[in-house]
Amino acid sequence: MYGIEAINAHNGWSIAVIGAGIVFTGLVVLSIAISQLHKLLLFWDKRDEFFKLNGRKVEEQSDITSPEQFPVDIHDVAEVYKPVFAKLGDSFQLADLYAIARKYNFPHPHLTIKEFRQAGIMLPLGDGCFKLNTELTQNQG
Amino acid sequence: MIDMLFQFLSNTGYFLADYRHVIMIVVGCIFVYLAVAKEYEPLLLVPIGFGIIVGNIPFFQGFGLGIYEDNSVFHYLYFGVTTGIYPSIVFLGLGAMTDFSSLLARPKLMLLGAAAQMGIFFTLLGAFALGFMPKEAASIAIIGGADGPTSIFLTAKLAPKLIGPIAIAAYSYMALIPVIQPPIMRLLTTRKERLIKMSEPREVHKKELVIFPVVATLLCCMLAPTALPLLGMLFLGNFLKESGVVDRLANTARSAIIDTATILLGFTVGMSTQADVFLNPKSLGIFALGAVAFSIATASGVIFAKIMNLFLKDKINPLLGAAGVSAVPGSAREVHLVGQSEDPSNYLLMHAMACNSSGVIGSAIAAGVLWSFMVGLPG
Repeated sequence: MYGIEAINAHNGWSIAVIGAGIVFTGLVVLSIAISQLHKLLLFWDKRDEFFKLNGRKVEEQSDITSPEQFPVDIHDVAEVYKPVFAKLGDSFQLADLYAIARKYNFPHPHLTIKEFRQAGIMLPLGDGCFKLNTELTQNQG
Repeated sequence: MIDMLFQFLSNTGYFLADYRHVIMIVVGCIFVYLAVAKEYEPLLLVPIGFGIIVGNIPFFQGFGLGIYEDNSVFHYLYFGVTTGIYPSIVFLGLGAMTDFSSLLARPKLMLLGAAAQMGIFFTLLGAFALGFMPKEAASIAIIGGADGPTSIFLTAKLAPKLIGPIAIAAYSYMALIPVIQPPIMRLLTTRKERLIKMSEPREVHKKELVIFPVVATLLCCMLAPTALPLLGMLFLGNFLKESGVVDRLANTARSAIIDTATILLGFTVGMSTQADVFLNPKSLGIFALGAVAFSIATASGVIFAKIMNLFLKDKINPLLGAAGVSAVPGSAREVHLVGQSEDPSNYLLMHAMACNSSGVIGSAIAAGVLWSFMVGLPG
């Protein structure tokens, strides 16, 4: 059996139409879902604000935020990192700094920490710990 | 002693070879040549080409040497193909390599990945029309997805006897992307359309990347559970990568594991093209339909992008539609090159990768859908 006759006999038209429809539906649904994902995450991040508006008790908010436009100059970046340094205290380990930076979605924390060290913004204390070079950051600030 | 010598000589490949073996060995050499000299998909064509050469060395049946002989080493290696193990492992590695951020930044490009799958369903009709049985037709049609592992997976499930020609056709057309796709892209677009520059995508949040594989698994695999062996592994690999807590596993998945699977998959698929099994009119039909499938898939993507532009304020470059086929990253690279040939400052690669990765998901869903439709139908 060949040609249109074969397509009809094997229910080809239905298989093709329904199959294409399912693939399309699947990807359309997925694209809609992922297009809303960042909005849901934004809502989740600002849930405290939302609950506050609704008169619910909220936990204390962190003052660490990742700006939408991250500065390029490393000293400006240090300004953005100031709340992170404040949270870590006078002496801290690089792993802790890295973990907090990642938690708050600061871009490229590994590279930033490396540049902080090169620019003298962070000073080694000799025992694997570091401290913020307050003199330098204050001068810049 | 002379008798022994003659007996030995009569068992050598030189004595047993006929013209079919020579043809296939030449084909294998061409594959290896294209991979080494022209660098056409070398990761695939080297193992496949070498497999074709090895698989077509004539031998005395009964020694347990051939891939189709139950007790041979190659038969055991081929087990990973016939059961669909290697394609699943390749998908794991693929997931661990894929960055879905460009797709997350611009989800509407996913529709181009869906549109390019139309090639599969057009080819299904063509295969029926040429007299193929339903399971064979579905296996041939999936070539239109331009995804080697998916084609092998579905064929292993539906028409295992056709794995050789279908895999060779699928990988050949993937390697021939630079030859097949650009003329179709140019034919279906105007210069003005090819010059369209895409706007900068938004920055994607790390959490989105982590959540995506979970959401995609739930949505796609619930829709087509038969795609689980492929999509489940793809999204597992991607989750390993994006979660950031199992870098060691992600690194292994995207290096040692996928490399091992690719070598074994390519080599055994190449070996499965033994002249007596491979050289027949059916294989020619499969190659012809494969070319049609690939071309229609490319054209569908481009045409759908043009249709989308009728409704979009922020126009998309219709060349991107050609990257909706799941040949990663070959078709995305080709779209980028065609775009750059018109305007060297037009960078389409990142956007094309979004279409490409949605094409991978789309072809795996299509494979799952076809598999579920074919259950209970004649071979």
